[in-house]
Amino acid sequence: MEAPATIDVISEHNKKKQRRARINKIILYIALALLSILTLIPFFWMLSASFKTNNDVFTVPIQWIPKTWHPENYSIIWKQIPLATFFKNTIVLSVVITFIQLLTSSFAAYGFSKMHFKGRDTLFLMYIGTIAVPWQSYMIPQFIMMRHLHLTDTLMSLVLLQAFNAFGVFLMKQYYTSIPDELCESARIDGLTEWGIYRRIILPLTKPAIVSLTIITFVNTWNDYMGPFVYLSSTENKTLQLGLKMFVGLYDTQYAYIMAASVLSILPVAIVFLVLQKYFVEGIATSGMKN
Amino acid sequence: MKVWQKVLATAAVAGVALSLGACGNGSDKDSSADKSGSKKTVLKVTTWNYATTPEFAALFKAFEKEHPNVDVQQVDVPADDYDTKVTTMMSSGDTTDILTMKNLLSYSNYALRDQLVDLSSHVKDIDQGPAADTYKMYKVKGKTYAQPYRTDFWVLYYNKKLFDAAGIDYPDNWTWDDYVTNAKKLTDASKGQYGTYQHIWRSTIQAIAAAQNDKNLMDPSSYEFMKPYYERALDLQKSKAQMTYGTAKSTKVTYNSQFEESKAAMLYMGTWFMGGLVNDTNSGQTNVEWSIAPMPQKSSNGKTTTFGSPTGFAINKNSKNKKIAQEFLDFCSGEKGAKVMAKIGITPSYRNDAVNKIYFATKGMPTDDVAKKAFNPDKIAVEFPVAKDGPAVDKILQEEHDLIMVGDETPSKAISNMQSRVKEELK
Amino acid sequence: MKRAQHSHFIMQVTSTDEKISKQKHRLQRKNTLIAYSFIAPNFLGFFIFTLIPVVFSFVLAFMSWDSFSTPKFVGLDNFSKMIHDTTFWISFKNTFLYTIGVVPFTLLISLGLAILLNKKLAGVKFFRTAFFFPYVTSLVAIAVVWNMLFHPTMGPINQFLRMFIANPPGWTTSSQWALTAIVIVSIWRFMGYYMILYLAGLQSIPKELYEAASMDGANKWQQFKNVTLPSLRPTTFFVTIMLVINCFKIFDLVQVMTDGGPGRATNVLVYEIYNEAFVKFNFGYASAIAFVLFVIVLGVTIIQFGWNKRQEKA
Repeated sequence: MEAPATIDVISEHNKKKQRRARINKIILYIALALLSILTLIPFFWMLSASFKTNNDVFTVPIQWIPKTWHPENYSIIWKQIPLATFFKNTIVLSVVITFIQLLTSSFAAYGFSKMHFKGRDTLFLMYIGTIAVPWQSYMIPQFIMMRHLHLTDTLMSLVLLQAFNAFGVFLMKQYYTSIPDELCESARIDGLTEWGIYRRIILPLTKPAIVSLTIITFVNTWNDYMGPFVYLSSTENKTLQLGLKMFVGLYDTQYAYIMAASVLSILPVAIVFLVLQKYFVEGIATSGMKN
Repeated sequence: MKVWQKVLATAAVAGVALSLGACGNGSDKDSSADKSGSKKTVLKVTTWNYATTPEFAALFKAFEKEHPNVDVQQVDVPADDYDTKVTTMMSSGDTTDILTMKNLLSYSNYALRDQLVDLSSHVKDIDQGPAADTYKMYKVKGKTYAQPYRTDFWVLYYNKKLFDAAGIDYPDNWTWDDYVTNAKKLTDASKGQYGTYQHIWRSTIQAIAAAQNDKNLMDPSSYEFMKPYYERALDLQKSKAQMTYGTAKSTKVTYNSQFEESKAAMLYMGTWFMGGLVNDTNSGQTNVEWSIAPMPQKSSNGKTTTFGSPTGFAINKNSKNKKIAQEFLDFCSGEKGAKVMAKIGITPSYRNDAVNKIYFATKGMPTDDVAKKAFNPDKIAVEFPVAKDGPAVDKILQEEHDLIMVGDETPSKAISNMQSRVKEELK
Repeated sequence: MKRAQHSHFIMQVTSTDEKISKQKHRLQRKNTLIAYSFIAPNFLGFFIFTLIPVVFSFVLAFMSWDSFSTPKFVGLDNFSKMIHDTTFWISFKNTFLYTIGVVPFTLLISLGLAILLNKKLAGVKFFRTAFFFPYVTSLVAIAVVWNMLFHPTMGPINQFLRMFIANPPGWTTSSQWALTAIVIVSIWRFMGYYMILYLAGLQSIPKELYEAASMDGANKWQQFKNVTLPSLRPTTFFVTIMLVINCFKIFDLVQVMTDGGPGRATNVLVYEIYNEAFVKFNFGYASAIAFVLFVIVLGVTIIQFGWNKRQEKA
């Protein structure tokens, strides 16, 4: 007679636990929903402004839903500036820079975190040191160098400047550090070359880190204004952010157009983000830890 | 090439040669100007917002018509960051031929730092005509490095319909007290209509105060003369006859929209806004009926004093086409260029009767007598003197202006701060 | 592990043999070469295009230069000028206060968000994207919207606050509150960015660790304290350093929102560097300020390094 009673108690306990879990989940959802609405406010404003007439953009209090809809703002901007060229340049820059950055910095990070050699820490401190220097202070020496290489007003100059960022090396190094050294040691004893360790052990384990570096580099390059501003002069080389700024100059009061262009410029970034973030979930499942 | 530049260059070239496995041909595509085989001389000019600053295209085209073997090309830069970009270009020895001097502050920077060709002896010989006063504004230590093509000065814009509705006579021979009284009368809070709009620049108070009191803003011995001007502005804000400075600044209000959408009945602003207004009226973007009057004065003795500043072209010291560049400068700053600009509503520096006639014949220009009087003020004082420490002083004055207008400092307190800070800076 | 000990043993025994010692030497050299080859592709680019200009700008800190003429050596003049420059000290103080305001909150919020969103939850993708969005939204829009939200009389924030207090702050139009406004916007803008870094960190924690912990009877909180936090240490270390550096380098948000004002209330170090360089043409002095900023940040970083090492040992 005693056994079923305990089962009853346990199932009762489980039910309670389940109910509590469900309530927790609902609270979590409500909290997340509120927070995300709060977070997205400026984006809502941008989106709604992009469908308004210019006179309706600045109203106090804020008009969240346009009184009249003007989707034609989106087609007008395509006619006003060479948006297609700007998109092309920005895509080229973002893809190339992200690719080189990923490749070279994950190599370098492997060297810095899993190999021992003379001067390692000094070299690494140099990397971190330069992150701490504001670009505004060495912008001109850098520009003078590029001019002597005859690379100003080319996309190449920006690739060279931004693809070997110290930030990427630092980021990857930190994630590599969290992988136990024993893993590499035993692989070395098993006769794997350094390249093999990097390729077969470290790389698969740090997929989420690579994804986050990809996202961050891509977004930063995509949204960079000062770099392209200093280096690119002719219209056929300009990027989206320069185009946006040009737009502000062209239509200094036409905020509806400016916002429409801004919304367009964000979309590709959002897509990249959505596509890549699935690896944040898959990360655990495919982790090579078990082998 | 200077020694230190050589060091950088060598480092760069050596480094790249190393990293690319010494592929070599990095430095043999030197001058790109004459690659396409055409024999036209290319004249490069720095511009800002080329597409919406109509005088650039108009002047370039007119000059090319006279000189068929010259191709004038723009190096276009977003207006906000114009000075940063030009500085960066020049510091690396860029050879862009002509540099447009957007304002006097950056002009003094480049002129005093020996980046521009000295035009003093040339300017002495040419016909400065009615632009002579503007040429004076470009004098730095007895030398001239730029030739002005447009001179903008400040006038009072007013909205005729709103004046009619309030039953107020159009402004003529106004003092500042008239301005304040009428601004209050023209205010209608129920419709969200302000009597006047004052833009956030410090010039709207400090430059006009200096001009009408014959003072120099670079002289920190006393800035007391600004006080009544600040008190009037604060009074207008308090009585809601003018949008508060905080709102205007933080919501990035533009003066165009305030005036063109009849949100403010008056606006004092530079003459560059006339061209814009004419354009927007003709294209149907605004239906505001407007005209201009002289700036309000200290006393009503019939003399009008306002302030203004020139825009000019200068020749880069590194230019390889100095002779043609000089011809371009003469063309734009002379009568021919003036006529080209007058046609599109730009205020040229060279303003004689023939030019004025073209100007007022432009469709949409106000033609009443008060407007014509406003267009020929008795005295145009320079907005800010050309001086080496100009930008630093300008910054201090703007910061203190900020504090007065948001109400964090009283005018007396801020004025004494200005005096001590500027003294410190000039020490 | 056993094999490792074994080989270690052998090496010790034979280390007296000169021949093998030479071999070991060669092996070491080979190892170093391999390490260099891993680092080289990035280092070359970094060295030429970043390090050289940075070093050049440090040299400029001891020079007087207007970006056109030949730099002149002035010794420590720039630094002694700095000591008496009130604007420099104001911008220094503002940067410091800003960093103190931003770092702890951003750290906590981004970690919290990452933990909440490191789950297989319906809609989790949407939420992650939402929190990341401020980071990609254009600065123009941010400046405009937040300034409206902060509007002293008609803005929603103050309309809400007025339900509780009579005189809510003037935010960006008041010299007392402008910096706080910038801090709030910064946290909002950067939390998604650091959330991503934390998400990646959480993902690299082996699941086995949690399994082992729960088998030992650890509850959720204990798991968090004993597994999650220690495993996240390298990430937290990285995030903290980047946050501090980025706070010291804050520029664009200030530029679009308040332009350093009202007065000098939101003037920060990099804003001052930019002013000195591109408005006043004092590139030498600007480089000197940049040098000071570098030294401060490097100092903070080294302290963090030391602390991190001690934690790792403990």
